[in-house]
Amino acid sequence: MRKQSPIVGIIFWTVVSTLTLFPIYWLFVISVKPAVQLFSTPDVILSDPFWGNYAKVWGDRLLRSYMLNSVIISTGNAILCTILGFFACYALSRFKMSGKESIFFWTITNRMAPPAVFLLPLFLLMTQVYTIGEWRLLDTQIGMILVYCTFNLPFAIWTLRPTVDGIPKELDEAAFVDGASSWKVITEIVFPLCRPGLAVTLILTWVFAWNEYLLAATLTNFNARTLTTGLSEYVTTTGTEWGIMATISVFTLIPALIVFGLVQKHIVAGLTFGAVKG
Amino acid sequence: MANVKIDNVIKRYGSLQVMHGVNVDIEDGEFVVLVGPSGCGKSTLLRMLAGLEEISEGTVSIGDKVVNDILPKERDIAMVFQSYALYPHKTVYDNIAFPLKMAKRPAAEIEQKVTNAAEILDLTKYLKRYPKELSGGQRQRVAMGRAIVRDPQVFLFDEPLSNLDAKLRVTMRVEIKELHQRLGTTIVYVTHDQIEAMTMADKIVVMRDGRVEQIGSPLDLYDNPGNVFVAGFIGSPSMNFVHGKIEVKDGKKAFVSDGGLTLPLPETTAAEGQSVTYGIRPEHIQIGDTGVKMQVVVVEPTGSETQIFAKAGNDLIDALVKDRVMAKPRSEIGFIIDPKDVHLFDRKTEKRI
Ligand SMILES: Nc1ncnc2c1ncn2[C@@H]1O[C@H](COP(=O)(O)OP(=O)(O)OP(=O)(O)O)[C@@H](O)[C@H]1O
Ligand SMILES: [Mg+2]
Repeated sequence: MRKQSPIVGIIFWTVVSTLTLFPIYWLFVISVKPAVQLFSTPDVILSDPFWGNYAKVWGDRLLRSYMLNSVIISTGNAILCTILGFFACYALSRFKMSGKESIFFWTITNRMAPPAVFLLPLFLLMTQVYTIGEWRLLDTQIGMILVYCTFNLPFAIWTLRPTVDGIPKELDEAAFVDGASSWKVITEIVFPLCRPGLAVTLILTWVFAWNEYLLAATLTNFNARTLTTGLSEYVTTTGTEWGIMATISVFTLIPALIVFGLVQKHIVAGLTFGAVKG
Repeated sequence: MANVKIDNVIKRYGSLQVMHGVNVDIEDGEFVVLVGPSGCGKSTLLRMLAGLEEISEGTVSIGDKVVNDILPKERDIAMVFQSYALYPHKTVYDNIAFPLKMAKRPAAEIEQKVTNAAEILDLTKYLKRYPKELSGGQRQRVAMGRAIVRDPQVFLFDEPLSNLDAKLRVTMRVEIKELHQRLGTTIVYVTHDQIEAMTMADKIVVMRDGRVEQIGSPLDLYDNPGNVFVAGFIGSPSMNFVHGKIEVKDGKKAFVSDGGLTLPLPETTAAEGQSVTYGIRPEHIQIGDTGVKMQVVVVEPTGSETQIFAKAGNDLIDALVKDRVMAKPRSEIGFIIDPKDVHLFDRKTEKRI
């Protein structure tokens, strides 16, 4: 086969990258302009950046706490969902139980209605039912982690099922014969081999929680308020502070990039190559 | 070390019954080989011994203890899987060390045992590699290594040498026999290979369709096969069978095939007129100018031996001789059969007469 000239590839990927990255670049440009310049003729080239918005956002204790809430809630939720989802899939994949496929299908049913449908019931549950004395689940980090679990856990189970099913059962059996307990089989054999699927699930559940607005806006007001909802506070009756919003948006991008960077290298194919014959 | 008793074991998958009352007694330290055609239930039986497959009916005991409800990890067995089942995310070293780590052996002992096993299996160069970077034969040896580092009650081997080349197979065969002599551990070994079965086994169990056809020492099965199936299965190349009847000629019993060929017959209790299957092993036929007149079809020399396929009427018989035979196809040749080497089976029941 003749080797194709790299030019075509370079041009193609340059165009695609530009199209994808331009909005992000534009966001950044807006974030480094003082408010007065925003509505003048758009200037694509970045000149004389103004860091005032960044100083303002970073200096805002409230925004910092929103940011922290977002990180804690998204990460807590992603880890919880991925681990619980993994165990659910292990059970579905390895154990005999009647109605297994029905259980599997049933888990996804609560994703079939729009989340808004659940708003009022969730609000009532969190204010009236899940309370200990004065303490309520509403507007707490743990409360939001659990709320997101109701949406993310079914999703995690569905994404992880093929991964766990794809680990040959003979590996479990070999480990059992080698004297491993069920726990060891899971931690030493199955879990490590599911790494790519776990990484994908972790990212997707994390992103869902990180970007979620509706539930966060309704079920938090101060203590557990997240960055996405914090953003909307800058749309006020006296006008919208676009520069500040762009800056916050840049701030929301950074942790997402970090998470992707950390997890991405685990998404590799073919971890079980060589395990069993043919 | 332990004896193993398989008592009337039945296996069903849903409504499908694949094992129909299997009985095998294995003595402490015995080397038992399971043979039989593909799908006859060898792996299933092994998996039931390992505790990986539920026993539908009957009992399995290891060391006089019924183990039906005992978990694999508590049975103290080591197994080599037909499919290898290597841990793909662990190196060869860690694969072999895994059972020792599970048993919480001290690090020095693990190191020493793994190195030793790697040496026996010629894997020393590959200890740092991952299973996906190995050939089929090397993977199979890693699977062996994982079993032989242990000192279990019973070894279960499911076709452990099937992917090796001829030379390595011989080396490994010797290694396994040596291992058996050294440790004296009970071994249950599945194979398709005649030579492996004959040379390694203290006792061979011949299976077919989820049933035991015959159990005996290799030579016993070779000399006295209980039925047509065992006679055809044990020995390579396999026994010649000719269908025919017992007739009386000149006051003496004789075998006459359906095609009219008369073959030498030993003293027999078979009755006149009885339909029988006549069996003679290729290596028990001599060739010469006397004997049964046959027409040569094909001559296959292998160097050390010559196999001659010849026919008379519709009956095709092959002989295996040590001499180099230069017979031409379609020429005439004499097959000399010693009556004492003949096996007679009832045609309907296929049982030995
Ligand atoms: N999970 C299963 N469900 C239904 N039938 C099964 C199952 N596993 C095995 N069998 C059947 O049980 C029988 C015995 O299978 P087994 O694997 O023990 O054969 P084998 O003697 O090891 O064959 P081979 O020499 O090809 O390895 C086969 O007929 C097979 O189709
Ligand atoms: Mg098998």
